[in-house]
Amino acid sequence: MAEEEEEEETSSAALRRRDLCSRGIRLAGKMRSDVADLLDAYVERQGLDASASGAALDGVPAAAAERWGEQTESQRLVDNLRAYRAFRALLTEMLEEQREQTGAADPALGDALAAVLLQVSAFAYHLEELLRLESRGPAGGEEAAGPPALPGLGLFERKLRGLGVLRELARWAVRSARDLRQLAKPGPGGR
Amino acid sequence: MWKNSSLRCVLALAILCLTSLICSQEIGSPGEPQNLKCIMHNLHKMVCTWDVSSKGRYGQTDFCYATSDLPPPVCIKTREKRVEIPVSESSATVTITTNNVHGTAFATKKFTIHKTDISFVPLTPHILSLTPDFSTSTLNLKWSDNGSVFPYGLDAFWQIEILRKETMEKVTRVTYHSKLTHENILLSWNWTSDMPLECTSHYVKIRCYINVTDFAGHKDWSDWSPVEKVPGKDTEPNGSGVFPQDTVVAVGSDVTICCVHEEGQQIQQMTYGSEIYPLIRLSSRSSAIRVLNASASDTSGTNVVCTLYPEEMDGTVLFVGYAPDTPQNLICETSNFLIIKCTWKPGRPSGLYGKRRTKYSLFERISGKNVSCEVNEMSRERVCGFPVLADQKTYSFTLGVSNPIGQTESSLLVDLTQRVHPKTPEKLTASGNSSTSVRLRWYINGSFIEIRLLCQIEISSGHAEQKLHNVSMPGGKFSTYTAQLNALHPYTKYQFRVRCSAADHFWKWSDWSRVEEHTTLEAPPARGPDVWRERSPSGRSLKIFWKPLSVSEANGKIVSHEVSCYLLDTPLEYKEVTEPSNSTEIKLGKNDCVISVVAKNHAGSSPPSKITSVELPSDNVKTERAVALGNGIYISWNSYPNVTCGYIVKWCHSSGSQPCSVDWQKFPSNTTDAVIKSVLFRPGVRYNFSLYGCKSSGYQLLKNITGYMKELPPKRAPNFTVEETSSDSILVKWEDIPIEDCQGFLEGYRLSFAKGEKDALKPRLSESGNPELKVKNITDLTKKSLRILDLQGKTSYQLDLQAYTAGGMSPPNSLYVVTKEDSVGLIIAILIPVAVVVLLGVVASIFCYRKREWIKETFYPEIPNPENSKALQFQKSICEGNKTLKTLEMNPCTPNSVEVVETRSAAPKIEDTEMVSPAADTAAPEDGSDSENENHVVVSYCPPIIEEEISNPPMDEPVGSSQVIYIDIQSMYQPQIKPEEEPEIDLVTTAGYKPQMQLPISALKIESRSATEEESDKTAGYRPQANTNAWNVDAPDSPGSVESNNENASFGSPCSINSRQFLIPPKDDEDSPKPSNAGWSFTHFFQNKPND
Repeated sequence: MAEEEEEEETSSAALRRRDLCSRGIRLAGKMRSDVADLLDAYVERQGLDASASGAALDGVPAAAAERWGEQTESQRLVDNLRAYRAFRALLTEMLEEQREQTGAADPALGDALAAVLLQVSAFAYHLEELLRLESRGPAGGEEAAGPPALPGLGLFERKLRGLGVLRELARWAVRSARDLRQLAKPGPGGR
Repeated sequence: MWKNSSLRCVLALAILCLTSLICSQEIGSPGEPQNLKCIMHNLHKMVCTWDVSSKGRYGQTDFCYATSDLPPPVCIKTREKRVEIPVSESSATVTITTNNVHGTAFATKKFTIHKTDISFVPLTPHILSLTPDFSTSTLNLKWSDNGSVFPYGLDAFWQIEILRKETMEKVTRVTYHSKLTHENILLSWNWTSDMPLECTSHYVKIRCYINVTDFAGHKDWSDWSPVEKVPGKDTEPNGSGVFPQDTVVAVGSDVTICCVHEEGQQIQQMTYGSEIYPLIRLSSRSSAIRVLNASASDTSGTNVVCTLYPEEMDGTVLFVGYAPDTPQNLICETSNFLIIKCTWKPGRPSGLYGKRRTKYSLFERISGKNVSCEVNEMSRERVCGFPVLADQKTYSFTLGVSNPIGQTESSLLVDLTQRVHPKTPEKLTASGNSSTSVRLRWYINGSFIEIRLLCQIEISSGHAEQKLHNVSMPGGKFSTYTAQLNALHPYTKYQFRVRCSAADHFWKWSDWSRVEEHTTLEAPPARGPDVWRERSPSGRSLKIFWKPLSVSEANGKIVSHEVSCYLLDTPLEYKEVTEPSNSTEIKLGKNDCVISVVAKNHAGSSPPSKITSVELPSDNVKTERAVALGNGIYISWNSYPNVTCGYIVKWCHSSGSQPCSVDWQKFPSNTTDAVIKSVLFRPGVRYNFSLYGCKSSGYQLLKNITGYMKELPPKRAPNFTVEETSSDSILVKWEDIPIEDCQGFLEGYRLSFAKGEKDALKPRLSESGNPELKVKNITDLTKKSLRILDLQGKTSYQLDLQAYTAGGMSPPNSLYVVTKEDSVGLIIAILIPVAVVVLLGVVASIFCYRKREWIKETFYPEIPNPENSKALQFQKSICEGNKTLKTLEMNPCTPNSVEVVETRSAAPKIEDTEMVSPAADTAAPEDGSDSENENHVVVSYCPPIIEEEISNPPMDEPVGSSQVIYIDIQSMYQPQIKPEEEPEIDLVTTAGYKPQMQLPISALKIESRSATEEESDKTAGYRPQANTNAWNVDAPDSPGSVESNNENASFGSPCSINSRQFLIPPKDDEDSPKPSNAGWSFTHFFQNKPND
């Protein structure tokens, strides 16, 4: 009887996990598409060249990972959560910067930034849910500290940094979708 | 002058000696002081310096000076060649003694120093500080003027030179002026660089010139101060960046932007926006670009990107915008005496946003209060609020405007009580329990205790003009206001709305409140209805009509009408007629009574309207015409003295099958004309009006009037017919047009006529523009016929008849008539040509008679010698009995048939080669039949015929062959005979001969020839002298034509009576007579004449 209950509980958790993963994949896909659009708008409105690089990307989580395939599921989730928490702070900073520099003159870019920020927040919350399910307890990890203060950056560097943040976020959206697909796979290594 | 050379030599020697003497004096002896110079740095002391003529070891120098105001000389011992002595007012005598090392003087020199020999050169100024402000690219220079050593008020000029780059290229040199104040003053000067100070090092040096006015000597600039340096970023070991960093410049500025990089890097390119600019090298680590006339940047600024090698990118953002525009239309007003709202138009946008946007502040001068305005950058009108201050009525506002590029301001002085713009009245309600009044209440958000309010109430109703009612009332503090409206109309739905303003000093109305509706209660009808009556044709009943009361008169909804009939206050009949009927009938018999009609609504009854049924007799009632006015009908009448209570014009509308509805209009007794208008009147419809006069004893018909609101052209023309026609006239009759089709008073008819055939496509006569068009206008309407005279016989005429009114012409009715023939004319037309022909015949006969000799010569010349003819030679042997006969005579001779059997070779034997038949010569026969025809040509031969011998001709000889035969020229060209005709031909042509040419044996058989054969004539046989075709064709009536009889075919050309040979010599076409058989017509006759 106890075994049956345990089995039922396990299968219910697996179902919930699969559901969370599939929704997360959809969220990541949507986020990737929106970030791509935002990138185009950002490049145009900031007068940048799409190929511009060389920004100071301190505090921007990199999507590239060594030995990605060897990571455990928990590690994947923690990395993702950490990254999205960082992006939430970075995007908030970008939004403030945008408002400070252009005021109400360019509301479209501000709105698009706010929309992506909302998606990032939602995805971070989604990851917290998944992590809670994994650990059967409260979400692991503490809220990441805000992005490092960069007082010496000029406006041009800030523009480039914003571009770098969005590019990295787009890469993270791809990586997160892959991580969640990996998580959704049933199997012994699944846990 | 210098002729003597020895004298020249002596003079040269003397000059040489003098020169050497002078030189030895200047150089002086060894150790002697020389070149004494004295320079003043201030007005108290001067520095004197001198040289010593030779080098060597000297001891101290004694410098003694004496002035006229200081008699004992002052001596100074010095080891230097420089002493500082006080400045004297007069000239000074200076003695300088050079001592040797042992203290023994060995050279002394005396100098006299005049005031003019002294120079004034201020001391070299020193830069106390040079401070760069990198954000504004400004250098601040500070130095002391050392003014304490100079008297007060001297002008000091400071020359400051700015240098740039490692090579210290001069950028600018400016002169700064100051006044010396006998104190040491710290001077400061700012210079803004056109290039960011970070780009490269900048250097500054300064010198001065003091204008000592009462100084007689030479004044000069001081020496340059030591150079002060502001190092650029390119001098810092790790200094790099693009400068200026994120700055704001004005549109149209010239901007220099530099890129400083680290050692080992190179600049690939620098772009401003999307444009690459040429680099200006500043140093090994710094280059710049120069943007001229910068245009306004985007919202996010213009990026300046410096691309470095190895791969790196640096940049800055430049914001290019405008200085703030002066605010326009600054208005300050209050809506509630709590907040003063100031609005203005910002003018041209600055193009700067966010933290660089234009900022506004409102400063009130009287209270000294300042308010920062938060305005929406994107709105066209800016608003800023300022609190109303207690006990302050007047406000002096200054609106300050600034942005990073510049600032401006706008001022306004307002008395707040004169700038009240109340808010929209709210909560409007209407209440009342009356048919003529209503009470309105509304609320205004605001405190208006200090002023009176003027409120305007707009009153609208569906059937009355909009009215405005003004109410003035004392202002309250956030209170409700009321107003009573009287003199309203009963049973009317009203719409009310309110707006308010300050009563004493109008500034602006508030917006209108929302609309509030209210309907007043009913009241009894204001008056009785307008009444008319008519007796029935039988006279036994009376029909009473009344007009419905207007809405303003009904005062409510009319429910019924009470109709009663009184005879001397005795009611005869009473009826209540409910709506919507507006007439009733009362059976009175032959009696009369006074009829009373009362309208009733829910609130009560109207006063009665009365009318008598009495109709006074009238005689000799005339009918007159009214005048159409287009929008009504004008009628007039004479004043009738007996008419005491007015006139009534009555008419009747009939529309289609509906019964005629009676209408009327009343006029006072003094009226003699009226314009009757009705929406039911239609143009082109005839209306009949009856004018009644109201007398004390009853109504009397005065006259009838007929008229139109507007006359139109008749719908159609009258029908008309032609009653009678002759060769020169037509009688036309027409019918009347029905009244309905007239559409106006008929004024006449118009008959147009002109020659013309019946043609459906022909336009109307009046539109055709026919110059022969004649028009008859018939204005006598009683006339129904018209005779048209002076027409041409046997000619078709078109007749159009139209009727017309004042409104225009009807469409025409058309008829076509042909006049009869004129017989006398015809006879004349025949007789004249006949007479002409006869006359011509007579003339021709006379002519021929008189020219008979010429005709004979022309047509019957001398016959040529027959002996030259082969035929005659041939004949000779035949006619042996008459050997002496030399000429061919037409004696009777027994004709013989000669059959000439020709071979091909025989044909060319004819002498005249041109006579050779082309067919025989060239065309080979296609078949045997053709060749057979050729070989069996039978010619007729006519032997001499003697009339006396005719009586007994041989029976087997054809009679015809013994006659003179005239052959139509055409028949002479018959090269071929149809094979089937051959036997016949043989029979016919057994007699006769063929002179000079091959004559076709079928010459007498023309009728049987086919067209094909005629065609072949053209190509075969001999064609002498003329075109044979023309001979036949041109005279169709001639007997020699194709259709004519063969027997007549001989007049084309005369033949000898003994032969068939032509006697007319061959000629060209010119002479060849075309009408070959013209002997039958005059024309042919004349054409055959020579050209005389």
